[in-house]
Amino acid sequence: MILLPTLCLLFLTVAAVENESFSEDVALRTLPDGRVATTFTFNTILEKEAPRDPRTLFDDQDESQHYTLFPLSLGQVLREYAVTELHLTLNAGKWDYDKWGYPSEPDVGSGASLWTWMADGAPNSIDARWSGLRNALAGLFCASLGTLDEQRTTSPVIPFAPEGSLPDWGIPHRLRHASLASEHVCTENLTPFLKLLPCKGLSGIASLLNPHRLFDADWHGMGIHVLWDPAVGVQVRMTFQTVTNPLRAGNIRKEDWSFRSLFDRRIERVCPVASSSQVSVGLPSRGMYNLKPEPHHITDNMGHYDLTKDFEPMDVSIKWKNAFEYLLEPITPHPMPISFRRMLHGNSQDRGQLVVTLDNHLDNAIDILYLETMPWMVQFYLHTMTVEHNGSVDNTLLSNLSYIPPVPHAQPATFQVIVTLPAQAHIKLSIDVTKAFLRYTEHPPDAQRGWDLPPAVFMPLDASPLDAKNETLTTYPRGKRIYSSPMLVDLATPDFSMPYNVIIFSCSLVAFLFGTIFNLLTRKWVVLKLDGEKEKEE
Amino acid sequence: MQTPSSSAVAVGLVASRLLLATATSATDYLIHDHQLSSPLTSFRNLQEGIYLFNHGINPYSGGVFRHSPLYLSLFATVLPSSKTFASILWTFCDVVGAWALVKIWHARQNVSSTPRDGLIAASYLLNPYLVLPSLALSTSSLENTLTLLSVMFAAQGRASAALLLMAVQFHLSLSTLILIPPLLMLLISTPASSLALPKPFTGSTNRLPALIIEFTAYALGLTAASTLVCNGFSWVPQTWGATLTLPDLTPNPGLWWYFFTEMFDHFRDFFLMVFSVHLLIYVAPVCVKFQYDPLFATFVLAGVLGIFKAYPTLSDPGLFISMISLFPEIYPHLRHPLVTALLHLHAALLLPLFHQLWLMQGTGNANFFYASTLVFACGNGAALIDCVRAGLRLAIGKEVEGMVVIQE
Amino acid sequence: MGSLLDPSLLFFQQDRVRRTIIAAYWAVILLATPLWWNITSIERLPLPAGRVHTETQRALTLPATIQLEPGLVDSKPHIINELQSLLDKRLSNSITANVRVNDQNTSPGVYNLVFWDKEDAVLEGRTLKFPRGTSLTSLSDTIIKLLDPPPTSQDFRIAPYSSRYRLSFTLLNEDASSGSYISGWSVQAALRRYIQPILSRVSDLHNCTIESQIQFHAPLAFEPHKLEDNTTALTAEDLTIFVNTAEWTLSSSTSTDPVLHFALFVPNAERRPVKVIDSRTNTFLLPQWGGVVIYNPGDEQDHLGSDALDQIFPLFAQHLLTLLGVPSVPAGIKTPDALSDWQIDALLRRRAIETNQGARDILKSTVTLVNELENMPVGKVVQDEVQAALSALERLHSLSSKSLTDAARLSSEAYTLASRAFFNPDMLAMLYFPTEHKYAVYTPLFASAVIPLIAAAVRELLAWRKQKAAKAAAPVQ
Repeated sequence: MILLPTLCLLFLTVAAVENESFSEDVALRTLPDGRVATTFTFNTILEKEAPRDPRTLFDDQDESQHYTLFPLSLGQVLREYAVTELHLTLNAGKWDYDKWGYPSEPDVGSGASLWTWMADGAPNSIDARWSGLRNALAGLFCASLGTLDEQRTTSPVIPFAPEGSLPDWGIPHRLRHASLASEHVCTENLTPFLKLLPCKGLSGIASLLNPHRLFDADWHGMGIHVLWDPAVGVQVRMTFQTVTNPLRAGNIRKEDWSFRSLFDRRIERVCPVASSSQVSVGLPSRGMYNLKPEPHHITDNMGHYDLTKDFEPMDVSIKWKNAFEYLLEPITPHPMPISFRRMLHGNSQDRGQLVVTLDNHLDNAIDILYLETMPWMVQFYLHTMTVEHNGSVDNTLLSNLSYIPPVPHAQPATFQVIVTLPAQAHIKLSIDVTKAFLRYTEHPPDAQRGWDLPPAVFMPLDASPLDAKNETLTTYPRGKRIYSSPMLVDLATPDFSMPYNVIIFSCSLVAFLFGTIFNLLTRKWVVLKLDGEKEKEE
Repeated sequence: MQTPSSSAVAVGLVASRLLLATATSATDYLIHDHQLSSPLTSFRNLQEGIYLFNHGINPYSGGVFRHSPLYLSLFATVLPSSKTFASILWTFCDVVGAWALVKIWHARQNVSSTPRDGLIAASYLLNPYLVLPSLALSTSSLENTLTLLSVMFAAQGRASAALLLMAVQFHLSLSTLILIPPLLMLLISTPASSLALPKPFTGSTNRLPALIIEFTAYALGLTAASTLVCNGFSWVPQTWGATLTLPDLTPNPGLWWYFFTEMFDHFRDFFLMVFSVHLLIYVAPVCVKFQYDPLFATFVLAGVLGIFKAYPTLSDPGLFISMISLFPEIYPHLRHPLVTALLHLHAALLLPLFHQLWLMQGTGNANFFYASTLVFACGNGAALIDCVRAGLRLAIGKEVEGMVVIQE
Repeated sequence: MGSLLDPSLLFFQQDRVRRTIIAAYWAVILLATPLWWNITSIERLPLPAGRVHTETQRALTLPATIQLEPGLVDSKPHIINELQSLLDKRLSNSITANVRVNDQNTSPGVYNLVFWDKEDAVLEGRTLKFPRGTSLTSLSDTIIKLLDPPPTSQDFRIAPYSSRYRLSFTLLNEDASSGSYISGWSVQAALRRYIQPILSRVSDLHNCTIESQIQFHAPLAFEPHKLEDNTTALTAEDLTIFVNTAEWTLSSSTSTDPVLHFALFVPNAERRPVKVIDSRTNTFLLPQWGGVVIYNPGDEQDHLGSDALDQIFPLFAQHLLTLLGVPSVPAGIKTPDALSDWQIDALLRRRAIETNQGARDILKSTVTLVNELENMPVGKVVQDEVQAALSALERLHSLSSKSLTDAARLSSEAYTLASRAFFNPDMLAMLYFPTEHKYAVYTPLFASAVIPLIAAAVRELLAWRKQKAAKAAAPVQ
């Protein structure tokens, strides 16, 4: 009799506790050029929760937040600004699409990049909440996200469509996107990242994240993605991707790698609160290798290890029997549908030319969406935009031009155009640009270095999946963003030691001319005899 | 009308200008030059604005297009904006400007042809300060032509034409505001030379209110037309506002750009106000002092504009120098013409050189170019001061042995 | 052969022309001067310094009324005067007591004094029941201790006043991956039972948000001492470095509200049990920061249900009361309530006096600062906030005698507004702009340009005066 209600009570308490879950996994695969690409993914799910409706920001106080696994500091930020979807990435290096294929996480633009979807309807404007959000995240991650102000914020909704769902509150959602290509990523960004995980960096897969090795990699990037899925709830996905060269990392002569050689650590303990903890290793298809320990099960070119069962301290290693077989020719079929290069031509500090070359590797024509969010310092001259195909100009390959002109000192340019690439074509798109002349106070401390221009985004609009024969690379998914590398633009600088000098010179000249003309106009003329006697006739 | 040698000279000049404009590729090199076109007058910006307009984007929503909506409507509808057509158009405008200058000379001398006509036309058509901006397709050449046409009509007493053209010119360039009072004075009096005989103003001042109202009506009409073209007032801060707030700090041969590049933010607004008021402060004194010769007053104020304008190009001092040819009576009284000429030569050689060193080669810095603009301003200032002094000295008479005339 | 004309006969040399020209120059300059003033002036709206001065002179007195039973008064009519004089002598200036006959109603600030036959002194609601025969001096002592608690040596533990607090409850597992750990707790029920009642009692003063989280790795920064019986002991010095804020992700607010932390520390399996020397209940309070309770769970325990939390949360409640500054009941008095009305009233009084003093100090500092720093801008927001703080203080003085809750509320409002005005970031804008800088920027143009103007104007003025004098001296025809 008493047992039943107690059981029910127990059930209720258990059910109430059980609405958060945490899972982690790490996937490693060998790239065709011998490097190892590692992707750590940490998923915290807050079930049956929804993002905060911004109209509740009118109330003085939010409801209490009680979490077990979900990070409280991130939860506070999300609720304070009523954020529906958030993506923050901090990357360093250049992702080589041609050699490494498409990354598991698409946002690989260098530097810091933050984009969010927020709903309109709060007492303060979306831009005020965007500013508060940037500053809060800057404090949370020790990154200078506060400088992503209106001079870097744009709203390109097509390439940055929401990854999750947007709640249907009857109010519109808006996108805010900003990137800072010159942001350096280092340990002080990794430490707060680890603090957001339930097991921090002390147990489970996150214990492999050794900053000495991670920031020494050829490419590394961390990402925090907050989404909402009505079936699942609010999901925080934290990722860390690296591309390491095992030759350099392991200090050995072959491309053998192991956790010890890549991260200088092994997994000593499993994270007790993880509902699933997995290590996946992509099984190479060329060459003879030895994978230790034996995977718990193998699916379709990947070996999986489940750490929640019978755990022992784990160090996965691959040893090659012979020397690694580097590919002598480029990979066919090409892992990506397009290759591209973006360059700034011109050797003068007042103008130049932005040139983008695109190569289509497919046997059919493809439409690419090309997005530039150029700061106002580089001014486009769209009437000089030309497309060269096989040496002749063919501007019909451009369509659907959408351009929001830059406003000096206020807003960057958002330039979006659809380029149709014929099969196996090589296209050169060039636009004349002028470089702005900034005020003395607008130059950064190291003004002669130049300004970093954010990466351009390419999005194939109807990419067909690639032939899956190329086993070590992932298939290029439909409609995903491809990032170019950032560029450095060299702007003319005034002489920084000169403000008072310039004021004095210019003002003296103006005053001299002014005074002389005044005297000419007001003084009296007199006639004097030259022999010394003053014969004034007034 | 013209003596045969005069017309031969004219044909020669026109032909040589046409040749320069169409046969050489000078335009492609000069069109980017900062001395020849400013952000308010650059042909590339004009083409960009027309492109944006044709693609449904408001050209005034960014910072690249600072031309008046009148240019937009003209080049987007009536005239094509290709470079070859533009070269011919610019040459044609220069020829019209030279013709207007000759006609002003005729009105001043009250004759219909003189032997000096060819010289005056040459002083306009061969003046390098005017030729190069015209080859660079800078719209300042068009503005010079408008100014000269308006002064010509005023000298000929045709009020409506003069006021209409001046209203258009005021629309295109806000600083020409300071040329309006002497123009009005010119309309109600004569252009005849009386520098040697200063006397109080003899115009009929009761015509003045009507003229002012007519000018205001023209200006308002043009403003309304511009607003219609642009569907709003977004053009005002970009065109007129640019002269007052200096948003674009591209180098030019004037004094404003480096001063405001290096100015502290706290004082920026104040000095913008000072520099704008400084242009206005010359109007009343010059008009009062030279009330007996309004054409000379126009000339002096054109010189002031050439030195102290917000976004000058070489055309603005060029106009002043070409207009010196209208006042041969002051030549004997110029005290340092050689110094002025040398200063101009100095500056004219150094400006492009230091510009190249600073921006293209990177071996110089901004101070070099700034110093050459200071020398240029000195040269223009010396020319202006000399002309004013000579104009006043003229009234006292020719030099006499044993006596010296000075100001106390 | 030319001849020179007499320049003085030239038209443009006439005095009239010259004077018109000089006047034209000066007219433009004078017309432009207001623009100069407008553009370069720093916005310094006036602050009501006089009102601030008056307010800082005024002292706040909070009244308290002691009501005696009519029967008692009838039997000893002088008791009112004696008690009154005793209280007046010993109470501090900011509280005035007023003894009178029972009016039957109690409200914040009005208390009943009843003599009864039991041996103990008991507090019940706002009634104090005393055994008969207690001397008036000891009675007045107790009343004074209840109305105006004396400062103790532990007062430094009280958190500084803020109208909004975040209460952050954290369950810290030292190391969840080695041995047993706590994976969940029924914190919401415990909060409702123990913490919520306190918060609703102090809702007049503070607006609090509650949040909770669980940490699974919270390493200690030091190695605690292990005793012979395998218990780990924490000495008093260990307690000062116990909270490892570098590694523990404790709550930090996205706003400027202060956070009161309440940490429940579960040591890892090898270290258990951990005991705090000098504390029977394994708990300690960190001044102005929060409280820590160390809980040693059983080996198989992985969830803290209500019975476990029933032992822990009262300790947190006690910490909360200390941090909020709720004075404790004096020794010798018993009370059946967990939190009696006398204590809440004393807290209201204490905070009201503290915030009133704080508000006055801040307002005075603001006015002094603005007066001393000529370059400090004072925007509309700052001016509005200072005026709102002053009007709150003025209303406080008119209402303080009537309602203690209103007094506390207005006082805290004044303090919050004054702090906001004083710490407004816009006030720093022009702070480091020396006057020499301004002279250096203005002089090149204006000094050089204005000198000929002034010289010419002075010369013309003197010439004009000489002319006038000459004309006046000349005989009129």
